[in-house]
Amino acid sequence: MTRKKPKIIKERVPTPEVPVEERVKSFVEVNLGYDFASAVKEAERCIQCPPEYASCIKGCPVHINIPGFIGKLIEHRDDPKKAVKEALKVIWSDNTLPGVTGRVCPQEEQCEAPCVMGKVGDPINIGKLERFVADYARTHGIEEELLREFVSNGNDIKGKVAVVGSGPAGLTCAGELAKMGYKVTIFEALHKPGGVLVYGIPEFRLPKEILNKEIAKLRELGVEIKLDHIVGKTITLEELLEEYDAVFIGTGAGTPKLLNIPGILLDRIYSANEFLTRVNLMKAYEFPEYDTPITVGKKTIVIGAGNTAMDAARSALRLGSEVTIAYRRGREDMTARIEEIQHAEEEGVKFEFFLSPVEFIGDENGKIKAVKFEKMKPLEERDAKGKRKIVGTGEYVTLEADTVIIAIGLEPNKIISEEASSLKTNPDGTLVVDKNLMTSIPGVFAGGDAIRGEATVILAMGDGKKAAKSIDEYIRKKHLSA
Amino acid sequence: MGYKITKKENLSAIDFFMEVEAPHVAKSWKPGQFVVLIVDEKGERVPMSVYYAEDGKIGMFIRRHGVTTFKLWYEKNVGDKILSVAGPLGKPIEVKHYGNVVFAADAVCAQAECYATLKAMKEAGNYTIAIHSFENRDNVYPERFLAKSVADEFYITTEDGSVGRKGHYLDVVKELIEQDKVDIVFAGGKLGSLKKLAELTGSYGIPTIVTVRQIMVDGTGMCGSCRILYDGEVKFVCRDGPMFDAHKVDWDDVIKRDARFVEQQNLARERYIAKLREKGVI
Repeated sequence: MTRKKPKIIKERVPTPEVPVEERVKSFVEVNLGYDFASAVKEAERCIQCPPEYASCIKGCPVHINIPGFIGKLIEHRDDPKKAVKEALKVIWSDNTLPGVTGRVCPQEEQCEAPCVMGKVGDPINIGKLERFVADYARTHGIEEELLREFVSNGNDIKGKVAVVGSGPAGLTCAGELAKMGYKVTIFEALHKPGGVLVYGIPEFRLPKEILNKEIAKLRELGVEIKLDHIVGKTITLEELLEEYDAVFIGTGAGTPKLLNIPGILLDRIYSANEFLTRVNLMKAYEFPEYDTPITVGKKTIVIGAGNTAMDAARSALRLGSEVTIAYRRGREDMTARIEEIQHAEEEGVKFEFFLSPVEFIGDENGKIKAVKFEKMKPLEERDAKGKRKIVGTGEYVTLEADTVIIAIGLEPNKIISEEASSLKTNPDGTLVVDKNLMTSIPGVFAGGDAIRGEATVILAMGDGKKAAKSIDEYIRKKHLSA
Repeated sequence: MGYKITKKENLSAIDFFMEVEAPHVAKSWKPGQFVVLIVDEKGERVPMSVYYAEDGKIGMFIRRHGVTTFKLWYEKNVGDKILSVAGPLGKPIEVKHYGNVVFAADAVCAQAECYATLKAMKEAGNYTIAIHSFENRDNVYPERFLAKSVADEFYITTEDGSVGRKGHYLDVVKELIEQDKVDIVFAGGKLGSLKKLAELTGSYGIPTIVTVRQIMVDGTGMCGSCRILYDGEVKFVCRDGPMFDAHKVDWDDVIKRDARFVEQQNLARERYIAKLREKGVI
């Protein structure tokens, strides 16, 4: 039988966005996503490569069967509920948080980068399709339906697992284990679950409602969440091991790197973490209705060019400041997702390249008033990450600023590793794990940024899932030998 | 959800005592460590010293100073709940035999820390000296809340001499040092006093460990809000402290950073007071 040659549609079906002038005044989500009709239209652009060859699947860190879920949308185009339910089933077998990853994954570097359609036009908008499936399922009761099917399949409790941290790695690991029939307890240091998804990523990029729903889903699966528990302080790893059959550490990379240059203690210099935590988690943008303050002046400089830098820049803009992103490398070496950079530019964030900060200059009251930068220049040579190396030129420039946000990266929080001395770490503070993600302590597993340094939400979720499998095997073996 | 208030009692014109059920914290708290609490859904994360931790409960001394503490005093009573208590945070004090141990306090956080610290120090065989400094008679706590029962020597000072000795703990510490009665000083409270204490004990070469108060958000090393310069290096008070060698702290920067949100704090306080007036509470 000859396959019907699909009609090539080069251009993506666009997704509507909140107009710039409106969105810079609030924290509402910028991209509005597809409705069913436009999602199907975009899905139909997919030429449905067979899974064994599909380059998008290879590009996805957790290998979601992308043509599979898109195919369900096409196949059941006349029955939206069925289409979404079937598509969600396909996604769920690899990724339980599609509403999150559809929004925060750098698709242009992963699944969409190798898409065959990208060679003749736009790659399929996989991210927005994934998000559509999650959103439609959430708002039409489909997710709950599917969840009930999972729960009713549940059987006897196979064991008890403690999960440390409720970010993407921890949530995924907990969800997977709960579905396998384990009693899971998550220990979270903050007063709200979600980790970086709640304190780090702003509302305009990931509405908290989506996250809250994901967490409600876990609770329905029987996962218990203990808030205000700092493992290593409130309870030690050793104590957890006495009570649980295994432990998963998904504590992320939560400690900000600060610049070791003069003036770092000046007022209104924030780490991106402090700035974003005040704004996102504590709702400082609603001060004084909410008790947590934030002070942002008229001219903000954000140092760094990753997603966190874009999030901080766009948040500062919404708090009424002019914002400039200063990056020591060039435009093409920025690490943020293209969509975030585009949104930032549309909203009026300015960019300065090849500037490396050397000093923070304060006024007589100890407040920042300017940043002195050395001008950098690129070399032909590239570093291990493929970025052009840079060198100082010996020329300096000073930019005025009454607010500075440092977004140059994060490293793992050492609270657990300092307390549990037998937990082996690498020189950069990440935990040492074997191929099954088990740490140097038997029964203690880890994943996400706690082992990777700084990576992505989807990789953390991939680790959470993999660790859940390893934990299951570990506990089965333990019970057999017992 | 939430943590139940089990005791509440006024201490002075400005401070009060509150006990909260927080078994997860009480179980592992040690002197020197602190907690972060949030009063309600709209509340701020506020670090608090701990007076004691026992039977699943923690006691705290609190100053009516900003919106959080006003809410705790005016809106929260025994039986009510507060949203969040996280901890214990920070590193515990090193309890061992030092010889003669002074604990000096001149603000609410340190008044709270004095008792438990000296209790532990006494149990470790030290000769303990407590100095509680207050501004005046109205601010002095009832004696049973102070460290008298665990102190071999016990002083109260007021600036106007209305209760106890006239003066400040700095005067008493100086005298004790001159009598050669001090092996180590622990202290906390007003940052300006701690700076002076560091200068005083530094000139005599007396080891001095103090609680550095700084503005925090998470309290776990996640945000860097509480960073200070210590011996030329950036340290986070929440994670590396809160107790530091007073002689290595850059006090001028610490004092400046403590005032970062004064304007906002005043604005929120005035707004809250106006609300209380509207409701006829005050």
